[in-house]
Amino acid sequence: MKYIPFFGCMMTIKYPWFESAVRRTLANVGVELVDIDGFTCCPDPIYFQARDKMEWYTIAARNLSLAEQAGLDIVTTCSGCTATLSEVNLVLKEDADLRANINKRLAEVGREYRGTINVRHAVTVLRDDVGLDKVRETVKHPLNGLKVAVHYGCHLLKPSRVMRVDDPDRPVILDNLLRVVGAEPIRHEMTLLCCGRACMSDSIPDDMVTDILETIKRHDADCMGLICPTCFDKFDTGQVLLERKLQKSFQVPIVYFFQLLGIAQGLDPKDVGLHRHKVKVDRILDMAMA
Amino acid sequence: METQAKRKIDFSFRDKLDSAVEGFRHNYCYQCGACVADCPAGNYSESFNPRLILLKALLGFEDELISADSEIWNCTNCYTCSERCPQDVRPVDVIIALKNLCVRAGKAPELVVNVSDSVLQSGITTRVTSLAEKRRQELGLPPIKAYPVDELIKIVGKG
Repeated sequence: MKYIPFFGCMMTIKYPWFESAVRRTLANVGVELVDIDGFTCCPDPIYFQARDKMEWYTIAARNLSLAEQAGLDIVTTCSGCTATLSEVNLVLKEDADLRANINKRLAEVGREYRGTINVRHAVTVLRDDVGLDKVRETVKHPLNGLKVAVHYGCHLLKPSRVMRVDDPDRPVILDNLLRVVGAEPIRHEMTLLCCGRACMSDSIPDDMVTDILETIKRHDADCMGLICPTCFDKFDTGQVLLERKLQKSFQVPIVYFFQLLGIAQGLDPKDVGLHRHKVKVDRILDMAMA
Repeated sequence: METQAKRKIDFSFRDKLDSAVEGFRHNYCYQCGACVADCPAGNYSESFNPRLILLKALLGFEDELISADSEIWNCTNCYTCSERCPQDVRPVDVIIALKNLCVRAGKAPELVVNVSDSVLQSGITTRVTSLAEKRRQELGLPPIKAYPVDELIKIVGKG
């Protein structure tokens, strides 16, 4: 199983320990990542798409063409990159006129988008290609008793016409992966709510994040588990900022799924960056040390 | 929409919106409101309402839509409305088309301009820092590769 990894700006620069967690855990389940040169920002599905959709298509198509040249599917680990690359890949495969137009632009730099590869979020690679049983075999220290409030985030699932990962209203993929590492997924009323990161208003996301964190506390979960670095940013650093602003204390630890998988596989917690979080993750560290 | 009667209806705005990618989808909207109930921005504010954004587009209330402080910038891009819409309007995509018109008119929020400029100037949304390089080294990760900005400049803004 070989894929080209596309880690994106945020993970590469701001959260490299997530990249480390992904690289190490995927290697443990037999996935080979083949790094290639030349990728740029996906480009980002919020601000860059808002700027100019044709330019957004073009830059994404250029990234896709690089992977096509290497002849391997892309594996993504950021929901934003997944959203951009999946949508542009689908739209360009479906729309021959648009494809021709974009290829005129790509020809300026001697490239061509052909529509020969797929874009896969890493969790779908675990579920569909590796298989949950195989993943379970790599778990040496199951996180028994760890209650993880599941946060799906929007762009793994929606728009479902594009993403084709799971039922956007009744998803199970992350719950099942959490069970594989021995954790107990906790569903709550706000499991599917957006993190609000793309919203320009302050009050809308502040209220959303407050509601989500308070709901998780009410459900006595040990932490929130998610798979998107942007959601992570909003709930980890964002939580601390919100605590200051509202003079409140939430202290809900936030973890990226591949960190949990890494800990369950017996990786050093430092190699998955658990000590770098703004909201301390003591319970998970204790489990890792035990 | 009490003051609607005082506003000037301008159907020519629909042509303008059609000119933006995916903008034509606003024509499919029959104002059923299926997009409203599960809209997180709508549920967390008095003013955000995807159906009303579509109505304003259909009636051509351009001044309210095409500005840096327009309600459209409060969309969280969660795509729930696109899941609910029975007409394939894909309201998020119409909102993105409206945002593209804002940028074209020089009326986008500074953040949108800055982040997207960064992509064209450096190849990424943020800046490579020495701390990032150091952290990557500590974790045994490959060094950050050069971003081919020269290629981006050549492929955007054509056609």
